[in-house]
Amino acid sequence: MKDNFRQSMKWFHTWVGLVVGWILFFMFLTGSLGYFYQEITRWMEPERPFVVQQISTEELLDTAQIYLEKHAEGADGWDIMLPNIRDQNLRVGWRHPAEPGKKRGKYKIKVLDVNTGDKVERRATGGGRLLYRMHYRLHYLSTNISYWIVGFCSMLMLLAVITGVVIHKKIFTDFFTFRAKKGLPGWLDIHNVLSVIALPFHFMITYSGLLFFLFTYMVLSTNLQTNEDEYREMRKEIYPRTVHLDKTNQAAKMLDISFLYQQAKTTWQASELSYVEMFAANDVNAHALFVRHETDITYNPDDEITVNAVTGEIILSKHKQYTVAAMIHNGFFSLHEGQFSGPVARWVYFFTGLIGSAMIASGLILWTTKRKPKQMKKTNGPDFGYRLVEQLNIGTIVGLPIAIAMYFYANRLLPLDMANRINWEANVMFISWAILLIYPMFRPAAKAWYEQLQLATLVYIGLPLVNALTTDKHLFNSLNKQDWNLAGFDLTLLLVGGCFAFAAYKFKTLQISKRANNDREIEKQTNRPVQVANESLLPLQQVNKEKC
Amino acid sequence: MPYLVNKLNFSSPRWSVLSRVLAATLGGYILATASSFFISQLLMTSVGKYQAIHIGLMLTFIVYACVAMWVFSVKTATKAWLGLLKLSISFVVATWLLMQFNGVAS
Repeated sequence: MKDNFRQSMKWFHTWVGLVVGWILFFMFLTGSLGYFYQEITRWMEPERPFVVQQISTEELLDTAQIYLEKHAEGADGWDIMLPNIRDQNLRVGWRHPAEPGKKRGKYKIKVLDVNTGDKVERRATGGGRLLYRMHYRLHYLSTNISYWIVGFCSMLMLLAVITGVVIHKKIFTDFFTFRAKKGLPGWLDIHNVLSVIALPFHFMITYSGLLFFLFTYMVLSTNLQTNEDEYREMRKEIYPRTVHLDKTNQAAKMLDISFLYQQAKTTWQASELSYVEMFAANDVNAHALFVRHETDITYNPDDEITVNAVTGEIILSKHKQYTVAAMIHNGFFSLHEGQFSGPVARWVYFFTGLIGSAMIASGLILWTTKRKPKQMKKTNGPDFGYRLVEQLNIGTIVGLPIAIAMYFYANRLLPLDMANRINWEANVMFISWAILLIYPMFRPAAKAWYEQLQLATLVYIGLPLVNALTTDKHLFNSLNKQDWNLAGFDLTLLLVGGCFAFAAYKFKTLQISKRANNDREIEKQTNRPVQVANESLLPLQQVNKEKC
Repeated sequence: MPYLVNKLNFSSPRWSVLSRVLAATLGGYILATASSFFISQLLMTSVGKYQAIHIGLMLTFIVYACVAMWVFSVKTATKAWLGLLKLSISFVVATWLLMQFNGVAS
């Protein structure tokens, strides 16, 4: 392409990064929120009670079993999710038998009030799950199309990461030195630091993201190398599953799950019981699987134990066998999802995700700042392409966070009995984003940036207030009850609002100092005091006219 | 016709870029697939069929990335296409030879 390899790669890096940068920003940001999807769901279901009292696991299991016996009749299996650090409510789920013509039945999930033993009536909401699913399902498009778009974008991201390393001359020095340079760092410096600081994460998250849909993307290769049966066999080897006994339709009386748990504990260390899965409930084949909170990246057979629910005997199940390749593959999934991480690691994941988003954002901004001086000198004003990139930048980098806040507003403000409420929460988010993408078309860039930063401040600071006005799960109560998940969510919103306020302030002061510099330059050249405002603050059309 | 040729301006660098984009996406995909055949045949006897295929598949993204970078680094788009062709054929031939050697039909 260019004279030498590095120059070619520099060109290549610029364009692979630009082409789908906005989708990548969307994927990184919603994906980062995914590390807290349970906490987000908890905030979006304010009908759930505060949980402060300590109840023993046995008592919780009894409560869950009584509810399930009564309400989950005919279900093939039950799930009991115990309160944990991420979700402090007791939840139960069950799958209805499949309707004719369908592969699987409907899955129901209920949150239980441990005091009354009854379910909590919750509002219809997509919760954190819908939000994080967007980072690979893209919401409106069909599954297959989404996966291919996401795959294409991820491939370009992988290329951007690799070419970024190739063109960066001093990668190791940058990694190990802190540059306290005088003056302001340029966008290139910011982009470099954000990229280098979390480089292993950027690579891991992109590559593992591609691995998730390995068989979708590499369908040509698998089709040519395996027939249908072999393909199924191969997938079984890569994603091994424990086989569980099916229902016999011979009813049998089950023991209490709390008793089964005590049985399990005789040979098993349940440091933190995460969930219980009951297979073939109330059947002679009934057996319970106890699973504790996973702490390993690779499969640990000691994380689970199976107990016969009729006799109370411990069933020695065969451990899942992984090949080395499958272990690496599943290890990458673990690293991507971070399910094994405790609270601190989870925050680290979240911040590294945000660093990734910021890296993409700074790269996109860098594209415009590099071209700005030349573009501003054009007699007909900046090119269409330049304007488009600038608008998409404003509408996405600040617009998307605002749209996500609107998703939370919709959760609090849409009527509770609204039809398709879950869809509308997401619609509100995407409509807001669309408006914020269009808005910069009608404003000069500098003003659009400033105004959207101000708007972002407003919506993020306002959200805890709206929460306080519409529910009793506000900051005052949550802090008082020491419900750190709820309080943490509201506090994070305030912090994000504060960051946007700071960004808006910084943006304004930089504009003023730039304007002063410009005026001084002109004064020097013309020897006359200047009163005209900075051009960049005037609408572009006006600037163009003046230039003509 | 000459008008159209003038209008499209085939000497413009845009056509070279378009050609390379196609070479990187489509050609890259085919070459990555071909490389997965080769890798799986190479490993088949030592780690078993499914694992060999699996490893070949997991490495396709890396191969794909390297191919795309290479396509955009060579002097001309034609050179990139020829290179892709040569490499793809080499992979297929090498795979075929390995298959004869392994004695297992895949």
